[in-house]
Amino acid sequence: MRAWRAFVRWVATHPVTSLVVFFAVFPFIVPHTSLATQVLTYGLFALGFNLLYGYTGILSFGHAAYYGLGAYGTGLALAKLKIASLWGAIGIGLGAAIIGGVIAGFFCLRRRGIYFAMLTLAFAQMLYFIAFHLADITGGDDGLRGIPLHPLGLFGTSVSIRSPFAFYVFAFVLVSLAVAALKRILDSPFGAVLQAIRENPERAAACGYDVNRIKFVSFVFSAFFAGLAGALEALRLTVVPVEALYWSTSGQVVIMTLLGGAGTFFGPFVGALTFLLLEERLSRLIEWWPIVVGAIFMTFVLFLPKGIWGSFLAWVVRDASPKPPYAPVPE
Amino acid sequence: MDRRAFLATGAAAAATFTFPAILRAQSRDPIRIGFPLPLTGTFAAIAADLQRGAQLAHEEINAKGGIMGRKLEVLFRDDQLKPAVGAQRTKELIENDKADFIVGGLAAHVQMAINEQTKAAKKLYISVSQSDEISAKPDTSPLTFHEALNPTITSRAMAQFGMQNIGKKWWVVYADYAWGKQNNAVFSDRIAKLGGTILGNTPYPLGKPEFSAHLPKIQAAKPDAILAVTPGADNVPFLKQAISFGLKKEARIAQPLHFLFYTKEGGAEVFQDIYGATHFCHELAETIPESKRYVEAFQKKFNQPPDAYSTYGYSGIKEIARGVELAKSTDSDQVANALRKNREYNHYKGKQYWRACDNKSFQDLWILKVRAPQQVKGEWGLFDVVGKVAANEELERTCAEKGHA
Repeated sequence: MRAWRAFVRWVATHPVTSLVVFFAVFPFIVPHTSLATQVLTYGLFALGFNLLYGYTGILSFGHAAYYGLGAYGTGLALAKLKIASLWGAIGIGLGAAIIGGVIAGFFCLRRRGIYFAMLTLAFAQMLYFIAFHLADITGGDDGLRGIPLHPLGLFGTSVSIRSPFAFYVFAFVLVSLAVAALKRILDSPFGAVLQAIRENPERAAACGYDVNRIKFVSFVFSAFFAGLAGALEALRLTVVPVEALYWSTSGQVVIMTLLGGAGTFFGPFVGALTFLLLEERLSRLIEWWPIVVGAIFMTFVLFLPKGIWGSFLAWVVRDASPKPPYAPVPE
Repeated sequence: MDRRAFLATGAAAAATFTFPAILRAQSRDPIRIGFPLPLTGTFAAIAADLQRGAQLAHEEINAKGGIMGRKLEVLFRDDQLKPAVGAQRTKELIENDKADFIVGGLAAHVQMAINEQTKAAKKLYISVSQSDEISAKPDTSPLTFHEALNPTITSRAMAQFGMQNIGKKWWVVYADYAWGKQNNAVFSDRIAKLGGTILGNTPYPLGKPEFSAHLPKIQAAKPDAILAVTPGADNVPFLKQAISFGLKKEARIAQPLHFLFYTKEGGAEVFQDIYGATHFCHELAETIPESKRYVEAFQKKFNQPPDAYSTYGYSGIKEIARGVELAKSTDSDQVANALRKNREYNHYKGKQYWRACDNKSFQDLWILKVRAPQQVKGEWGLFDVVGKVAANEELERTCAEKGHA
């Protein structure tokens, strides 16, 4: 029991290594490789959202905007601008997401709480209607099609990522790098201030931190991760549906994060995995599967608000640790 | 339950969840058709009908010993009417469930997402719902077949019938999105070509069926007839408002398509005398022997008559079976070539054929008029078949117009 507890604690304190090891074996234990890739990209999306919600304590209900901008940016670069390099296209997608994050963050962060959430929602819906009506560029209702999946330029050679497994490896490497970057952000003094803001914004301000600016930077970082997830999804499906920008996409990432455990490092991935696996398995068996998923979600929100991973960690370290290991505070 | 027992149960449950393939007993390799469709979402009723048609075809094929001695398996997956989910389910069907072919998709945008996956995986796909783009370049491919009607054919047929039988001066009310706009454009163009007049049109936001501000204007223009492109849940509110403003008495109303389920749900009081096109209705059983056989088999299995979309599912599955038998292979390219070479088929309503350039199915369609409440026959006899528009390439864009050289 003690060894096991030590193991879990090691996992929680070495999240990047654990995550890399886990996702290295992951495609071999899930039913579909493409499901494994989907968990990676949605997990990354939720991770980005969690930076803002779980660590900074601000609830955005419009994260579809940055996910969609990443997806459309990448897709349009390949399909319409005929960019030949995947890296270039991803760069354009990320650029679009960051610009979107900067603009939305600049305006939305002037309000707090429900007003902030509604502003982010409005911003995302605005983008949705723009994409819907600019059918000549975005494909509108029918979605953006015809995204070519060029071979990936890598150290002077080019590698095809068309096979499901090759694409998984590609996504795995990018997501691992993103996760490492996020860990670095959270471990920095900046990351500590984020959590200080979440716990008590007045006190953080009293300590001399520019709360608004830090929130803004966190917002843009979050948009960046969401945009990367969108870019990967556009390449994976070679189609960008206009629903990528719709509020239901924002809702889905909120559900995944809460289900897995907001404010925990692994939570978003656990949430994405649970949600997508349930959806994939249950929808084969019963037509009313959304009710089951909804009931599970409500059970967690009502009785285990820390989510699956958060509750699990709390249970493992229930009597041992004075400090939760999943919220590292620098010395 | 102690912790060990709990863990053991949990592990067993997880294994069942993640390794179903191992638990499933494998007989001789069946031929697999993946079938994504929106079992949940707005079109669930139509999707269920589509599924029933496919199930009937599946059952009939296996009852006759399968395809080339191999059993047929049809794998239905819920795409939730979401393109991303449709794409995901299609990927899984091809990559892991080893589906040899894909049939399905309901709604243009989901078809497009499915089509991108089948193109990449080089699998034959038979699309079974309306879309103009799916059989035109750049979306189509030599492996993309389109069994359903499309907005161009439906609206041109309705314009042709309408000019002869309904009226010369028209007004178009349409939902302002891709399908609505396409119908409006094609219909208006055709009416003008046939010497009729479009007095005006009323676009409205899809899902916001509020017409009280528009109806007096339409009435003042005194059209002979109105084409109402008011899909799904907008249909009944439009008709109810048209009735309460007296418009239904002043002008005849037509819509591009009739669905039995929706008409039954809205009731003959609301739908009485409304015209609409369809590629199939169960009343055809009275005149066409193949339809009689289909309707009877369907009725026997499901204890209710088929609506139109069931036949798309039925025909889609049957065409794959026919193609495989002809090609003596499950290779998508060979099956596609075999279908193009032997282009005529007849599964449920008389002859249909594939046009070689775009793999588009050409088929007869019919114009229906809803009966008055006192004339409805039984529970399901809501339609009078008032016209037939025979399969005709004039009704579709030419190969060149669709980008095929």
